[in-house]
Amino acid sequence: MNRLRHAAQARITFAWNGARIEGRAGDTVAVALYASGIKAIARSRKRHRPLGLSGSHLSGVLGRVNGRPNVRLDLEPATEGLDVRMQNVWPSAGFDLLAAAQFLPRRWLRGGFEHTPLLPSGTWRFQVWERLLAFLAGMSPPPDTDVPAVVRTGRLISIDTVVVGGGPAGRTAANGAVRAGQRTALVCHGSFPGPYARACGVPLPELDPRVELIAGSEVFGLYRGGSLVTAAPHNHVWGAVIFECSRVILTTGRRSIPPLVAGNDVPGVLDASTALLLANEYGVAPGAAAVVVGTGDEMPLAEQLRALGVNVIHAGPVAALRRIIGRRGVNAVQLDRIIPCDALVHAGPWRADPGLLFQAKAEGLTQLALQEEESNVVAAGAAAAAPEPVAIGDLNLAEALLCPCMDVTAGELLHWIEQGETDVEVLKRVTACGMGPCQGMPCWEMLAELVAKATARPAPEIGRPSHRPPRRALTVAQAAGLDRLVEPDR
Amino acid sequence: MNRPLPRRARVVIVGGGIHGLSCAFNLAELGVGDVLVLDAGYWQGGASGRNGSLIRNGFATPEWTRLFRFFNQQWHELSRKLGHNVMFSRRGYTMIAETEQTAAMFEHAAEVHRQCDVKSELLSLEKLKAHLPAINHGRVKSALNLVDGGVAPHHAAMKAYRAACEARGVVVHYRTAVTGFERTGPRIAAVHVGDQRIEADSVVVAAGAHNLMVAQMAGVSLAGYAMRIEAMALEPIRPLIRPALALIDRLCYLHQTARGEIVGGTEIPERPRMSLRADLPVMTATARVYMDLFPRLAELRILRHWAGMIHITPDFGPLIGEHPELKDLWFSAGWSYGWAGGPGAGALLAKAIVTGELDERTKPFTVDRFERGKPINETAIVLAKFS
Repeated sequence: MNRLRHAAQARITFAWNGARIEGRAGDTVAVALYASGIKAIARSRKRHRPLGLSGSHLSGVLGRVNGRPNVRLDLEPATEGLDVRMQNVWPSAGFDLLAAAQFLPRRWLRGGFEHTPLLPSGTWRFQVWERLLAFLAGMSPPPDTDVPAVVRTGRLISIDTVVVGGGPAGRTAANGAVRAGQRTALVCHGSFPGPYARACGVPLPELDPRVELIAGSEVFGLYRGGSLVTAAPHNHVWGAVIFECSRVILTTGRRSIPPLVAGNDVPGVLDASTALLLANEYGVAPGAAAVVVGTGDEMPLAEQLRALGVNVIHAGPVAALRRIIGRRGVNAVQLDRIIPCDALVHAGPWRADPGLLFQAKAEGLTQLALQEEESNVVAAGAAAAAPEPVAIGDLNLAEALLCPCMDVTAGELLHWIEQGETDVEVLKRVTACGMGPCQGMPCWEMLAELVAKATARPAPEIGRPSHRPPRRALTVAQAAGLDRLVEPDR
Repeated sequence: MNRPLPRRARVVIVGGGIHGLSCAFNLAELGVGDVLVLDAGYWQGGASGRNGSLIRNGFATPEWTRLFRFFNQQWHELSRKLGHNVMFSRRGYTMIAETEQTAAMFEHAAEVHRQCDVKSELLSLEKLKAHLPAINHGRVKSALNLVDGGVAPHHAAMKAYRAACEARGVVVHYRTAVTGFERTGPRIAAVHVGDQRIEADSVVVAAGAHNLMVAQMAGVSLAGYAMRIEAMALEPIRPLIRPALALIDRLCYLHQTARGEIVGGTEIPERPRMSLRADLPVMTATARVYMDLFPRLAELRILRHWAGMIHITPDFGPLIGEHPELKDLWFSAGWSYGWAGGPGAGALLAKAIVTGELDERTKPFTVDRFERGKPINETAIVLAKFS
């Protein structure tokens, strides 16, 4: 139904909560479900809001696959016969009693359910309550007992330069390094370097064959000032890699930060790159009628999507967006008027992921903070561009979900800010904002902007909590496979 | 945050972690309302926000066991005392032995626990299977369970202490670093924060890894060194591991939080240093231990790992009491089970400051025990020694 004319034709089938789903060859599970009209594929932690593929946060794409919990459905290839199930439902996805959580008073859920004074510790009632909480917070049962527990052996590669990101800037940097005589590796997220650039029609320089290409992997950590770079493959069966190197070039580009407006968590709200990949790589329309907003790129993006066969009914500045209406999927967006639609694509504000640079350059005794000194880690291309201000809505802002993974709304944070807590490290700890699978990107960008607005301080002055590796990029089995490859600091 | 500092306080406490706040709270309870707490970092930013959150009441020496039995009791009563839910979870603290030597140590420790009236139980294989089904039973030689032990998440107790302190008039300043001390003859007289001078009758130092720096600033000697410790959190799953765990032969500890995350770490000897930077070896070594002992964790993902710092003494034991070189300067320092010790140590220290009398149970842990040649040889702790 949502397939565009250029989609692959070969079919595969898999099970979603026991029902048969048909996808096309090359689909990921999340794409196949999206194309089948199933957009709400996850539930938020506390209030059980429907979440789905967004490109922004991971909690919307985690599911249970063949007995393994928390598998990223946006990376998991849809293959014949997979058994995929929704998480955080009980007793089943079809009859989910936990969904009643949406009717609980909001103040009960601040900082989780934990702090109720009605059931203090030191009593047996607390012990029962705590067990119930642990069950609710756990989202999914542990892996099935027949899932193999095998150490996934990793390797250590000594090399001169590591380039992170395979877009035009990454390819250019890697080619430059290898032509200057440096042994060079390029690590990219996609199955080949530069799928977004290709979807945008941007020309990609040919990658020099001497560059060692590690595709389908995520760089999850920069240790010891950037002299150790660690990368893990999306495929959980393969081992991870440690590069021992003297130079790191970050060409990770920029991501569109979701607008901080009510309804920003509704399935069908997509970032520009996810919408483009859906349409170009998989031949799936983001919706039957899509609205595009942005900070200047909305017009070219709308044109690009239209050229791929997507029905874009409106394109305009993100600053005009006041809220998004819908629950299991987008029904409409409110700008100066209400526009009925079933997808909202945001192209900006753009920000680079600060995590890797932070890991390499942050130091401090009471708090890690970015140091400005010279280092062997540099950002290039769009990753080096200045951050754009985040759009903040004016209608029902308290409802806007800032951290979908831990289910933290702008209202919950404003509650603490009003009580005088304006330290982002403290706000993180009292709300758990940014402690879920995404580990702070993009939600801490919004957190900083919200604190700036609420305290009337300049946004660049507000720091971020520590960005910590490995951001769920590798499994215990893959981490064990890296053991003893690096000597402890003696 | 920019409230002015007072010019005088009856007691100034350096360090706003659980030890500092607990001491302040107990002083206020004893009628010493005029207490100022200063901390260079942010609320929950030091070891009180970065530890394994484990609470245990039994060790292999009577000295440690008597002291921590009292500490453990304090946790049981803490929610009621503070009027806030500190979420202490009494789920048992279980130690696992994989070698005959450690199993023998458990036998000895169980005897010490009996003498000190601490409830502990050597678990049979059958019992262990019911208590901890997820462990790889083939590797376990012995298991010793401390029934009254457990865990308490940082944010709850820290929030409770801060609220209870402020409700009793204690003034707490974070992001406020002490820069110097002033003496008058044999006693300490004032604390400096930049060019501000705060007069004090007593000063308590409970600054975690920064104790050594603060002691140097005050011109007194203090045993030990600062060391990094790392831990990591796995993504949440529904309950799999119930008790708090110490895998003694692996120098590894872990537990599953009420949020579903599995938090733990191993100790790897490295050179002592002050840094909050995370490094690779602890994460990979912890993963290796999990593969061996908890194979069902193999396919779970690691959310994050991080480093914290503690002040380690030559025998790993705490330093509690007035400093023999400078009157009215008190220490609650050298903690390696500091989270467990916080509520109780604050109570004992506050009482000692007010009455001038040290509690019997803290006497073996005085600040100058190494000079006096009286270290305590405790073997049931999970720490690596740098040598």
